[in-house]
Amino acid sequence: MRTKRADTVAAYLFLLPFLVLLLIFFVFATGRAVYFSFTDYDLFRPPNWVGLRNYAALFADALFLSALRNSILFAVIVTAVQTFLALVMAAVLNQRVRGIGFFRAAFYMPSITSSVVITLIFLWMFQRRGLINYLTETLQRHLPVLLAFLLVLIAVQVVQVAWERRSALPATWTDPALFVVSLLVAFGATWLLVTTGVVAPRDVAPVDFIWLQTRDTIPSGAPFWLSVPIPLAAIMIQNVFTTIPTFMLMYLAALQDVPKSHYEAASIDGANATQQFLRITIPSVAPVTFLVLTLSMIGTLQMFDQVAIFGDAAPLRSVVTLAYFVYDRMFPGAQTPEVGFAAAGAMFLAVLTLVVVLLQRRLVRSEGH
Amino acid sequence: MRRILAIVLATALIGGAFAQQIRIMGYGGQDPAILVRLLDEVIGAELAAEGITLTYEPLEGDYNAALFNALSAGTAADIFYIPVETAPGIIATGKVLALDGLFDTAPFIDSLVEAYTVDGSVYGIAKDFNTLAIHYNTDLFDEAGVAYPDASDTWATFADKLRAVAALDADVYGTCFPAGFDRFGAFAFATGWQPFDADGHTDLLDPAFVEAVTWYTDLVREGVAIQPSDIGQGWTGGCFATDDVAIAIEGAWMLGFLRNEAPNLQYGTTFMPIGPSGERGNFLYTVAYGINTDSPNRAAALRVLEAITGPAAQQWVLEQGLAIPSRTALADNPFFLEGTPEAIANRVVFEGAADGHVLGFQFGNIGTDWMTPVNDALVAIMTGQATVDEALTEAQRDLNALIERAR
Repeated sequence: MRTKRADTVAAYLFLLPFLVLLLIFFVFATGRAVYFSFTDYDLFRPPNWVGLRNYAALFADALFLSALRNSILFAVIVTAVQTFLALVMAAVLNQRVRGIGFFRAAFYMPSITSSVVITLIFLWMFQRRGLINYLTETLQRHLPVLLAFLLVLIAVQVVQVAWERRSALPATWTDPALFVVSLLVAFGATWLLVTTGVVAPRDVAPVDFIWLQTRDTIPSGAPFWLSVPIPLAAIMIQNVFTTIPTFMLMYLAALQDVPKSHYEAASIDGANATQQFLRITIPSVAPVTFLVLTLSMIGTLQMFDQVAIFGDAAPLRSVVTLAYFVYDRMFPGAQTPEVGFAAAGAMFLAVLTLVVVLLQRRLVRSEGH
Repeated sequence: MRRILAIVLATALIGGAFAQQIRIMGYGGQDPAILVRLLDEVIGAELAAEGITLTYEPLEGDYNAALFNALSAGTAADIFYIPVETAPGIIATGKVLALDGLFDTAPFIDSLVEAYTVDGSVYGIAKDFNTLAIHYNTDLFDEAGVAYPDASDTWATFADKLRAVAALDADVYGTCFPAGFDRFGAFAFATGWQPFDADGHTDLLDPAFVEAVTWYTDLVREGVAIQPSDIGQGWTGGCFATDDVAIAIEGAWMLGFLRNEAPNLQYGTTFMPIGPSGERGNFLYTVAYGINTDSPNRAAALRVLEAITGPAAQQWVLEQGLAIPSRTALADNPFFLEGTPEAIANRVVFEGAADGHVLGFQFGNIGTDWMTPVNDALVAIMTGQATVDEALTEAQRDLNALIERAR
């Protein structure tokens, strides 16, 4: 009995340093923020109780509604895309191929690079005369050449496989040895066509797609709550690129635990690769999927840094998220900080995140079992 | 041993009684180095003799946010920078000392004192100021055989000169026009338009403002002017340094940048072109020093304020080519009469402050947020996403909401 109590005391003593920090920087700070959200506090004058006025004002604020719409669309789209792609990439990297270590390391690079640096690089790529518009233009210009190459490639492959099959040899449509021959022939043929001038790059107008400095949305003219501002889409692309590797790593760990015997049994039963992926891989990693979905939802709902770095490069209304809205109201123009209003925004974001995660827990759980 | 200890203690006590530590908070970047040199070379010895030592604490990143935090937490320095565009908010915190009767503001340029006056009290002493001027690349103008821009240029003749230089080559542009009111505003003012009427309202659909927007954005639509980001630059100075852009509309802050980035670029400087009102338009950009009301060393802080805005300090800052002094007495300084491009540029920027419609870079208590709807409209027009009318109507709506909120 006595030792048990001593144990409890010891446990609390060990927990104490963390509990103190938690109390000061989380419980106390959250409590104060909740209190401030019901006041008109501005950091300098004593706060006055204003009841729910700040919360009502939130929904009358056009910037807040944009922020809410942007945050929700951002969270849903980015979470869906990056979870799916992370799983696919993990499945690809889970194979026993020579040099797989290199690819695993290379694919993980975006995650260990500073988000600030990546955002700055993407800002350059998304400029009107940036890399993305340049590549699109180059692709359009060389489309005839590319098409010629592909046509020759497919034709030669089909002819070769048909030839092999006629000789009663078992050749699949993607036979690697034949494919190498097709590639070489296609390269040669395309080179010949280009030098003889039969096929030439087209003249196309420079691509001038505006990624950043625009208020347009995709799809254009859609209802307010369903339209994604184009600059936000640019941030989505960048965010997917930087966060996939982290989730890919989680999936990779989970995939290594799936017993090989399941796949062997399935292939004996005649299941093809797609069927194996859908029927074995996805159900086996369901618990990790829940983790990935939850982390991704929380991370995307609270996205702040990329909007802050985009700064003046894109109209605020097109990229503002709830987290950035809170910051923006905390330091508005040449007025004193609107702490009460900003705190109300922060509380709304916290509750929204909680509700979304709880909802998702219900949905994924009921599906998993 | 005991005696040595007594001496150490005594010195510490005496030193403690006399030495006063004054802290200054300001921008990062090159400002810390400038202040250290100013102390070493001009005012440091004098202050040290009076037992005052100075330390400079740069606030990197978002200065406004950092200063508000420091002010509310009680950790702000004895003296801090007050940027003109956020001055109303900083003064409204009640943490800035009113200088009435404590400091003589008479030797300073009136419009600069005015920018820091709230309800008849002065809260800041401008450390220096800047206006916009036309800096032109003489080599490009010579190559095109076009006369240099000069003080008699109107919008029309100015645009014609830009067109003629831009015709040199597809990669050569007349100028970089950013989609920002912080530069464009000078043209809007040249029509006689003012950002606020007597009731504090803004009229973006005023024909004068529409005319300025049309002229400014048409030059971009025409390809004579280009947005800096479209040639991979962050600002007009960056464009100018590429040697492919004939003129830059910037303040004297660009000179130091050119000295480092484009030392071989030959340039001249002249006044802004004359607008439809028959006058030029210009911005007055400035930063002031303010004193913390909670400073425990108020007397020493005032003494420091006097020294760092004093004639000796301002003369030094001017001669180093760092900024334009805020004291009227320095107007006929021999430095301005030197024939070097930098001296000429400084003189043009100095005289620009009193030439035509010159307004402070200030937007009441709405602050720089005021510019956001206008900037969005400029982008939309320049990129062909909206007509002048559509864009300005939308901007007016957003701006009305902003002004309503700030009340």
